[in-house]
Amino acid sequence: MVDEQPRVGVFVCHCGLNIAGVIDVKAVIEYARTLPDVVFTKDNRYTCADPGQDEIRKAIKEHRLNRVVVAACSPRMHEPTFRKTCAEADLNPFFFEMANIREFSSWCHPNTPKEATEKAKEIVRMAVAKARLLQPLKEIEVPVTNKALVIGGGIAGINSALDLAEMGFRVYLLEKTESIGGHMAQLDKTFPTLDCSICIEGPKMVDVGRHPNIDIISYADLVSVSGYVGNFKVKIRKNPRYVIHEDCTGCGECKEVCPIEYPNEWDMNMGVRKAISIPFEQAVPLVYTLNMDHCIECYKCIDACGARQAINFDQEPEEIELDVGAIIVATGFDIYLPYDDPLYGYGKYDNVITALEFERLILAAGPTGGKVIRASDGEKPHTVAFIQCVGSRNLKKFEYCSGFCCMYALKNAILLKEKYKRDVEVYVLYMDMRTPFKGYEEFYKRARDLGVTFIRGRASHIIEDPDKNNLVIRAEDMTLGQPIELPAEMVVLCTAAVPRSDAGEMARILNISRGTDGFFMESHPKLKPIDTPVDGVFVAGSCQAPKDIPYSVSQGSGAAARAATILSKKKWKIEPIVAEVNADLCKNTQAKCGICAQRCPYGSIEALEKQPAKVITAMCHGCGTCVAECPSDAITQNHFTDEQIFAQIASALEENPEGKILGFLCNWCCYAGADLAGTSRFEYPPLIRPVRVMCSGRVDKDFVLEAFRKGAGMVLIGACHLPYDCHYISGNARMKARMDVLAPMLEKLGLSPQRFKVEYVSAAEGLKFAELMKEMAAQLQELGPDKVKAENAKLKPILDRMLAKKTQKKPPQIIQKA
Amino acid sequence: MPMKIQKTGSDTQLVVERIHHAKNYKLTLDCRLCVGCELCSLICPREAISVAKQPKKDGQKTQHPIIDVDEVKCHYCGICTAICPYGALHVTIDGNNIASVIEKESFPQLIREITVDATKCPTDCTECEEICPLDLIKVTSDPKTNKVTIEIKEEQCPTCRKCEIKCPEGLIRIRKIFTGKLTIRQEKCPTNCQDCLDVCPITDTLYLSEKDGKVYVNEIFCTYCGACKIVCPEEQALELSRSTIHHTPVRSGAWNKALEKLTSTTEMTKELRGKGRKKTMEAVKKRLEPRAK
Repeated sequence: MVDEQPRVGVFVCHCGLNIAGVIDVKAVIEYARTLPDVVFTKDNRYTCADPGQDEIRKAIKEHRLNRVVVAACSPRMHEPTFRKTCAEADLNPFFFEMANIREFSSWCHPNTPKEATEKAKEIVRMAVAKARLLQPLKEIEVPVTNKALVIGGGIAGINSALDLAEMGFRVYLLEKTESIGGHMAQLDKTFPTLDCSICIEGPKMVDVGRHPNIDIISYADLVSVSGYVGNFKVKIRKNPRYVIHEDCTGCGECKEVCPIEYPNEWDMNMGVRKAISIPFEQAVPLVYTLNMDHCIECYKCIDACGARQAINFDQEPEEIELDVGAIIVATGFDIYLPYDDPLYGYGKYDNVITALEFERLILAAGPTGGKVIRASDGEKPHTVAFIQCVGSRNLKKFEYCSGFCCMYALKNAILLKEKYKRDVEVYVLYMDMRTPFKGYEEFYKRARDLGVTFIRGRASHIIEDPDKNNLVIRAEDMTLGQPIELPAEMVVLCTAAVPRSDAGEMARILNISRGTDGFFMESHPKLKPIDTPVDGVFVAGSCQAPKDIPYSVSQGSGAAARAATILSKKKWKIEPIVAEVNADLCKNTQAKCGICAQRCPYGSIEALEKQPAKVITAMCHGCGTCVAECPSDAITQNHFTDEQIFAQIASALEENPEGKILGFLCNWCCYAGADLAGTSRFEYPPLIRPVRVMCSGRVDKDFVLEAFRKGAGMVLIGACHLPYDCHYISGNARMKARMDVLAPMLEKLGLSPQRFKVEYVSAAEGLKFAELMKEMAAQLQELGPDKVKAENAKLKPILDRMLAKKTQKKPPQIIQKA
Repeated sequence: MPMKIQKTGSDTQLVVERIHHAKNYKLTLDCRLCVGCELCSLICPREAISVAKQPKKDGQKTQHPIIDVDEVKCHYCGICTAICPYGALHVTIDGNNIASVIEKESFPQLIREITVDATKCPTDCTECEEICPLDLIKVTSDPKTNKVTIEIKEEQCPTCRKCEIKCPEGLIRIRKIFTGKLTIRQEKCPTNCQDCLDVCPITDTLYLSEKDGKVYVNEIFCTYCGACKIVCPEEQALELSRSTIHHTPVRSGAWNKALEKLTSTTEMTKELRGKGRKKTMEAVKKRLEPRAK
């Protein structure tokens, strides 16, 4: 280990024209050269491309760089890339720091290049300030449990499970309902080939059931997930079926004697099932379930089961705990039932049904034996109208396109035409017919050739003739440009696919985020479409956004491959940005403190009596909440030390501080939301100087005080939404408690309340972030620099006194070379 | 629409329905036959049936309680139809009269043992027809052959035995469905209260004593349906307990549960023990048979 003076290299990226189109890269380079300890600067067209990375590696060697700053895109995008680059040049990867001048500057201030350049310079300055204080860290290696959990037994989950099992990993397939199969098992035929859905899915389900590496845990709920990549601990509650899994042979004799029939949800309540039954013939696992809500306890089934003794009325819910290394979430979607939209009369008119209900009608094994009949009179309809985009592409309901409705409407139209030939007229009312994938457009043509009538227009109202229960659809034919009235004997609503009703609960348990549409969010919409922000947790299928079968299947396999990258290793490296306790400073040795242990969301700190607190490194997730909570500043978070953040604050507020907003943004929500504002090119005033922290829980009161001491115009703390969005369970709540005390105190000291803000912005709320910036800029302008300066001058002596301990103590300048 | 659940009511009947695309379930309560007793509501496994007293109107007789069925809870098992001694409830599935619990032998049928020897009936006697409190008996005599026929709507007969007692020739034999005990503690009765008497469907079961103006029981006619118990305003004034129920043999947990609710735990165990004894006897007999040969 050699102590040495920092030698910083700054690399500024053009990113084609993404950065250079707005920001004067040369000026940034010039400026960077003037910064302390900067010994090398360079600009690249694409720093992340191979030649760009080569430059970095070469410069490290040639100029003996021991710190690297890349000013380019978001660290959420390429920090791992450049850390690797540094490591390849034998520089500790944690000597790398990123300055985000694309998402935070060029993309969100395209019309004010001068200000954007200034902002970029300062962001680089902040990065260099932090880089000078960086410490080398050693990545922590953790063992990997070579087992996977797949949540959801639909077609995506089935494929994930099968692929992983074939690779030789043990897989637990968790299914909420009685059988795997998902929505696909409810369908009649599939587009565009018209294969029978269950005939192609059934064999796969059987494969899953018989695979020696797969354990199906059906009729069970996910209770909790703890741990981290490679080492998740999963709690599952198995609900009682009142039938012993191992002893049930699936013979069905119990069903024969059961007197009770109740609506079968699998049949969309169009058919019935016995109180002891399976939802459908091909169910896997083939184990009967007794529904206690409906059972009258006559025990006839016990008699019928006889010597097999598979029925046990005393079964209780059972909780099991599993150790897995990776989790694939494939929980699927729900179908929107438009009870709340009076326009369509669903629930009011007998002959208005949803498309999924239509699937059960036309399915040969369905409740009507494949006869398409009307609920009102049991007769076959002679005119059937499909209405597209019910709920979807509707700003008042669901903004997104549900993707597969056009195709299944075509499929159902073709099936009707092929089944009843000239006996049935089929109309499709559509907004746009979307048939983008292989064989889909040809399928559309097939429907047209069969004589299906397509009318472009949106239904405005459906009315029913109360005598015959026939319907009349009022719509505008956009091709003719005039209103039409379309009589139909049956109306099929192609309704939106919506997030599952328990998606929020699932997101909370797994600590993953959801988009504004309610579906689970991927790590990156293009490059990491299967990953989630939680390492080791992947998404597949329609839980991420509506998907058709081929897409779900490929994503299921994709998720399996992603999970295998972890499961195939013996050890997995995790970021060493954990907390450490300085035993000398910890006051727990003298008095009973233990605040850190109480506040740690993961219970990873031990504070035994008369002993300094201790962080259990493998359990620490690196949020930094304990660091901010510690009353004696005895805890530090690696890579996000107080000194480093103080340096960033000082650097950000070097010039014209009263005109700036200093933002402490949490990596997972607000920082990501700000990134999204940039990616989406939402323009906002260039006042914010971002300090990225892993969690808002890391934001110490002192940071806020220091910012105002340095004269900041405004301070923003950007966190995940309360109560459940926090990536670290409760870091945001801890921060809120802390700031709820601080805010009134600052106000008392004469600070205008609008100058200190705590805001909650999710990773999906780019627009909200941009709006927030505009609002804050307007408020700051309203206050005016003079008032801000006056307030700050009044505050300064008090803050000086409050922060005396921290600011007078020289930050340790011992630099170690790893 | 996937499934329609509806309730329609009129003065004469209450209908709850669950209509699926290919199947429909219907429970009909005939309000003209219903006397507002507690039996169905006591044993409904879904607790879908409720009984409510009707508000008393000044100067009028107390009306019998009203039965209401929760259309969402009802799952059309038919237990209520099996227990109703007045035949007021019917379940139909796709239009056919089906009580699935009886079909699958999950619940017994009540046995009404009514024997009438009409051959000996005098041609001009219509005593039974006149006395029947529920108008269930029709006596016709053929003037040519002098042959008398007596028709009884058995499925609606609660076996009160009034006709049996009344018959001058002793030609009717009836075994009651329910046996039990009905006691009225006159000292607890509120003054001038005769609510129980007003609602009792079987005339003369309860009568007003001329001595003290209180209601007394003539248990011989009592059907132990419990309508009186529901309207009684005083908690301990009227006590009803059933001891046996005459029914077809059945092996069912649902029946045991119902039996316990209708009678008492002791009576239920008695019946179970009886069943056990019978089974043991049969088993012993079976074993002895080859030896006897």
